[in-house]
Amino acid sequence: MTTQFDLNDDSLVVIVGSGAGGGTLANELAQKGIRSVVLEAGKRFKLDDIENDEWKMFGKISWLDKRYVEGPARLAKDFPNLPAWIVKGVGGATVHWAGVAMRFQEHEFRMRTENGTIPGANVLDWPITLKELEPYYYKAEQKMGVCGTEATGMPFHGKSSHYKVVEEGARRIGAKCEQATLAINTEIRDGRPACQVNGFCMQGCRIGAKWSTMYTEIPKAEATGLVEVRPQSMALRIEHDKSGKVTGVLYADKDGNHHFQKARLVSVAANSIESPRLLLNSASAMFPDGLANGSGQVGQNYMTHTTAGVYAEFEKPVHMYKSTVVPGVVHEWKDNDPSRGHYAGYELEILHLGLPFMSAFLNPGKSGWGRELADSLANYDKMAGFWVCGEDMPVESNNITLHPTEKDQYGLPVPVVYKTDHINDTRMRNHAYDKSTELLEAVGAKKVNYLPPYPASHNMGTNRMSKYARDGVVNGWGQSHEIKNLFVSDGSQFTTSGTENPTLTIVALAIRQADYIAEQMKQGAI
Amino acid sequence: MKNTTEKPATDLSRRRFLGRSGIAVAGLGILSTGLLTPTAWAASAVGEHGSATLLRMARDIYPHDTLEDKYYAAVLTPLAHKANADTALKKLLAEGVKELDQRSQQLFARNFLELENEPDRVFVLRAMEDSSFFQRIKGDLMMGIYNNPELWPRFGYGGSAWEKGGYINRGYDKIDWL
Repeated sequence: MTTQFDLNDDSLVVIVGSGAGGGTLANELAQKGIRSVVLEAGKRFKLDDIENDEWKMFGKISWLDKRYVEGPARLAKDFPNLPAWIVKGVGGATVHWAGVAMRFQEHEFRMRTENGTIPGANVLDWPITLKELEPYYYKAEQKMGVCGTEATGMPFHGKSSHYKVVEEGARRIGAKCEQATLAINTEIRDGRPACQVNGFCMQGCRIGAKWSTMYTEIPKAEATGLVEVRPQSMALRIEHDKSGKVTGVLYADKDGNHHFQKARLVSVAANSIESPRLLLNSASAMFPDGLANGSGQVGQNYMTHTTAGVYAEFEKPVHMYKSTVVPGVVHEWKDNDPSRGHYAGYELEILHLGLPFMSAFLNPGKSGWGRELADSLANYDKMAGFWVCGEDMPVESNNITLHPTEKDQYGLPVPVVYKTDHINDTRMRNHAYDKSTELLEAVGAKKVNYLPPYPASHNMGTNRMSKYARDGVVNGWGQSHEIKNLFVSDGSQFTTSGTENPTLTIVALAIRQADYIAEQMKQGAI
Repeated sequence: MKNTTEKPATDLSRRRFLGRSGIAVAGLGILSTGLLTPTAWAASAVGEHGSATLLRMARDIYPHDTLEDKYYAAVLTPLAHKANADTALKKLLAEGVKELDQRSQQLFARNFLELENEPDRVFVLRAMEDSSFFQRIKGDLMMGIYNNPELWPRFGYGGSAWEKGGYINRGYDKIDWL
């Protein structure tokens, strides 16, 4: 169980991050007999550490290292130091997610071809197709236990009161609404229990019914004896040799001591802020703009999905908290139909917040107080609503850069996150506000509240895949165009964001990448 | 009574989340003692007038007319205790109250407490909402009112459910008005 590898062992794969990408890759490689060290910046949590308490869990598991949000968007004013809502701990962002597992649509892999040039956006086709990814989606659904899919045969969760309200509204306006395909067990499966509808999926499932690498991929990988997870190990820099191949990762342990772990291959899977940050921080004389950055695209095209919240107040109780967090999805506008006035699509994901978070997000920021807000919160039990999740235009100037002077606790430059809407994002969000209002009013909403985007849990695009080295950072396997033994395994490799929540696609890509890495290693190519 | 005292790390993280400084979690233990008088809570730190002014302000920030004063006072009491040991905080509160009165005097020729119309008070408060004084009070109140398990039933919120077996057998699919 407690495998320990030598720092000088240069036959290992070193994976930075233990979430959907890193955790899955480690286990997939281990099942093929390939040894790896996983460097995880955060602590190791146990199921007992997970509580049904929004603020406590926020304080316990979130990535709260210093960051700056810049740009004219309201997010920068409301949350100046918290661009992203992700996790610092073994399991990464798979601890904090609602379990929504949807495949990308075919056209979402070729948005450049679909729509041509979109001014102000940096849209590119993926170098892979849905057809190529389909077998891996199937494997990912099996691995994660996605209900409502052919891969598992597990039934849906059943319709909660929250779902039923939206389903009826959707029916009345003729919009497609379905129960969500969730990576949450509805039957005992893979050593994990069935969901008991605690209502706190997002912030960590107390009983482990929701898939998280924290208690699936990671322990399975460790059980092979071929994987060593090193928690509280913050990657500082990736080193390379004279030929330009990477040789290992310098990291700081929990006491701040620096170690250099040698590697045959390095995979970066630290989410879309930290992954490009690590590549930028690894700049050298040979790679003055950072590793894998010949295209200048490392850190660029930062996408979060086009998001918003919409919560209606009804006359009678809904009790939306008595539900899986995302019981269903309104799919009506997920296609790419520019006649709506915007490119790409969005989903209305039925989603609840508890009262504590509703009070913080209904009107976030300094002006969020007063009688209107209090009256709405007094109607908390009569609320139903959505989180809007739409495709986000890649824009080169939405990016991650390094602060010129300020350093964090590891001595690394603090990341600066610039993010603002492309006009398409604004149009899409407004369309979603209008359609949700129509839907909710059709079923009797008395008042509809519009919530601005809050810190992003879906972070994508900052090390994007591309067919040509000039356009992106990695190829269709997540392998750096410039450095053969350097890979990106998280959502930062997404060429475009798609409409769907990213986790299933990250896992499918990691399974596929593991096949490729194993093959390349066997051939001696890396 | 649930103990909501937090470790400093959590406190810090909340502050970051809310993008402002100075949020603390209210100790709510005092509610069960029954010794509280509505305006006396902060008298030791800011005097009777200041104490009454802050309570009025608290009720205007998150006005729930059916919630008793004690719930608002219970958020502010620990703040006053803290202020007695923290001169910067004490100054923040005292000067905040003073500014409230000055602004009320300028606009309405009366102290804040004597403004009988809610819109007048809100007018004064809106102009101060960016101040660290206002945001400190607002942040503490958000935690003390909406993150207070004792009050959750009043809002129809269930809170932690795993220890009761969740909602799968407790009405998750019940709705009778569709």
